[in-house]
Amino acid sequence: MTKESRSVGRRTMSRRRVLQGAAGGLAAASLPTLFRPAFAVPETVKIGLVGPRTGPLALFYEEMSWAIENAKKTTNNSITINGTKHPLEIVVKDSQSNPNRASEVAQELILKDKVHIVTTFATPETVNPVSDQCEINGMPCVSNDDPLESYFFGRKGDPKKPFEWTYNFFFNGAEAIGAPMSAWGRVKTNRKLGVLWANDDDGRTFARVMPPPIKKAGFTIVDPGRFDLPSSDYTPEISKFKAENVEVVFTVIPGPDFTIFWNQCAQQGYKPKIVTAGKVGEFPQGVYPYGSRAINFVCEVWWSRFHPFSSSLTGQSSRELADAYEKDAKQQASMGLGFRHSLLEVPIAALKLTQKLDDPASIRDAVRGNTFNTIVGPVDFRKGPLPNTSLTPLVAGQWRKGKKWPLELVIVDNKLAPNIPVGGEPEPMPYA
Amino acid sequence: MASLWINQLLQGILLGGLYALFATGLSLAAGVMRFINIAHGDFIVLTCYVLLVLTTTLGLNPVVATLIVLPAAFLFGFGLQRFLLQRVVGENVLLVILVTFGLSIIIENGLLEGFGADPQKISGGWLETATVALGAGVNVGLFQVLTFIAAVLLVAALDLLLYRTGIGAKIRAVSDDVAAADLIGLSSVRLYAIAMGISFVTIGIAAGFMSIWTNFDPASGPTRLLIAFEVVVMGGLGSLWGSLAGGIVLGVAQSIGGQFDIAWQTMAGHIVFLIVLALRPQGLFPKY
Repeated sequence: MTKESRSVGRRTMSRRRVLQGAAGGLAAASLPTLFRPAFAVPETVKIGLVGPRTGPLALFYEEMSWAIENAKKTTNNSITINGTKHPLEIVVKDSQSNPNRASEVAQELILKDKVHIVTTFATPETVNPVSDQCEINGMPCVSNDDPLESYFFGRKGDPKKPFEWTYNFFFNGAEAIGAPMSAWGRVKTNRKLGVLWANDDDGRTFARVMPPPIKKAGFTIVDPGRFDLPSSDYTPEISKFKAENVEVVFTVIPGPDFTIFWNQCAQQGYKPKIVTAGKVGEFPQGVYPYGSRAINFVCEVWWSRFHPFSSSLTGQSSRELADAYEKDAKQQASMGLGFRHSLLEVPIAALKLTQKLDDPASIRDAVRGNTFNTIVGPVDFRKGPLPNTSLTPLVAGQWRKGKKWPLELVIVDNKLAPNIPVGGEPEPMPYA
Repeated sequence: MASLWINQLLQGILLGGLYALFATGLSLAAGVMRFINIAHGDFIVLTCYVLLVLTTTLGLNPVVATLIVLPAAFLFGFGLQRFLLQRVVGENVLLVILVTFGLSIIIENGLLEGFGADPQKISGGWLETATVALGAGVNVGLFQVLTFIAAVLLVAALDLLLYRTGIGAKIRAVSDDVAAADLIGLSSVRLYAIAMGISFVTIGIAAGFMSIWTNFDPASGPTRLLIAFEVVVMGGLGSLWGSLAGGIVLGVAQSIGGQFDIAWQTMAGHIVFLIVLALRPQGLFPKY
């Protein structure tokens, strides 16, 4: 991916900076170097991006490369700041799904590539170490795809003393359980909720945080306890669910484990009316393997082609963005696409509003002092709910038999964000 | 309520079939050559990845892929024993164990490099959800039943091979006394290699069933080895029918333990193993 940067700068420092920048980055071809311009050339504006291109989190990167290309095409590799047209470069670094590596490459972006702003995404494992590194180095950082509590409290944030440089937009825990729960509640069941929360970070966090809101909504929890992953046998859990007559099932286990669970449910003749498969049910690639057995899986929806927002960068509506991706990539757009796009949308919009490009504080002020109308909804870091964060809307959807793709997501409940239109009503599992 | 426990008991017995498949090859190698192949679990996982490649890239049916792999597995095991392990077989049993330990590290890291850390699974199609209803809420998976039948057949076949055929008699002779067997003109080198080849065929069969039953990742070898090891020790070193019994004991312990409290699923298996080891260190059906 390394491509030599060919822009030549105005200040004496610039030559060295360009050479350093060439060491690793996704540089855009900008100006021909045949002639050394006789007059000053505007400084190259650099956005640094850290994401998991390889490793277990690589699924998150699925749509990122396309989103970068799409943004480059639209901006034509340039950005106008204060009436001056600057070359724009996006420098990409791979976190290899490893928090230590993420922190290391973030440091590289700040100290070696000398980027103007850093963006990052995909779980606390990537976002938190990169944000911490930016905070230490006084570098503006915008991130998403990290739930707000994990972002703020995971970094030991203190609401009384917010972070100075780092900002994150995504959903929060209350929404994450509230949206699917609202859909569950609208299907007629006995409101007995069986949960599979494993003995891992997510499982333990869910077991600690989720029961109060679930009970408040009138569901009874049947929790077989924390079990070790990976497991080759889920029949003890299933027989417990059967014995307690559980009609709603909520799992937070990885794909292969869910496959075993769901197969054994079929073997054991266990047919819950509602299934929410966290970590699996959000992505087309996650549900395709189950075919018609995934119809009416309920999941939380962070973004879809039906969201009534459009991009401040390209002007594309949600539907147009999804169509453009599906045309190029020949695969179904997931909810990740909107967030990948907005991850570039916010920093570019902030840079455009920046007063003094060579002052990081000025870029930071542009990030935190404006509202950005993005493809995932309005982003405003002054609003919270926690400091340094902005909450994006969340709704619930179900997978239904699709026209273009084997399974397509239909929004069935919008209690938490009534401005997002529903495309159907919540239904129980069909069991053909 | 009774049907609940009967159901769990049955699930445990069937799980024991899978565990017995893990263990027979290890038991055979331990019984004949008197050393433990530390890389046994990793070879099972390696074979799972071979099957994964065959089924995903060539689009082969998992059964066909397994059948293709079996002769290759025999040759591989034969070659491994003849050209690598044979060099260190002898007075010092630690040397062989160290070599297989090294193989285990090489396989794990090689797989990590080649396939990444993601858990994988091979799809068994309709077979995965097919079920046999025994009434009163007792259901068993068809695939699980097939796995158990395969384990019984495998043990029976190995038993026939060892006790009813000429090659089996020779292998047993070498196993009883290497020096005496060599003295009467048996080639212990060749017979060891054949025994290892057979052990690898069982690895291939175990991989075929495991890759559909559960998920695997490069690091899952040692847990399979632990299961196989516990099963072999519980059943009695070198005893084939003992391995089947040991597998069932372990499977039932885990399944019933999980029914009490899910966090006890793995622990219950280990506790039963320790109890057996304390009360009957020679195993349930000792051969030596």
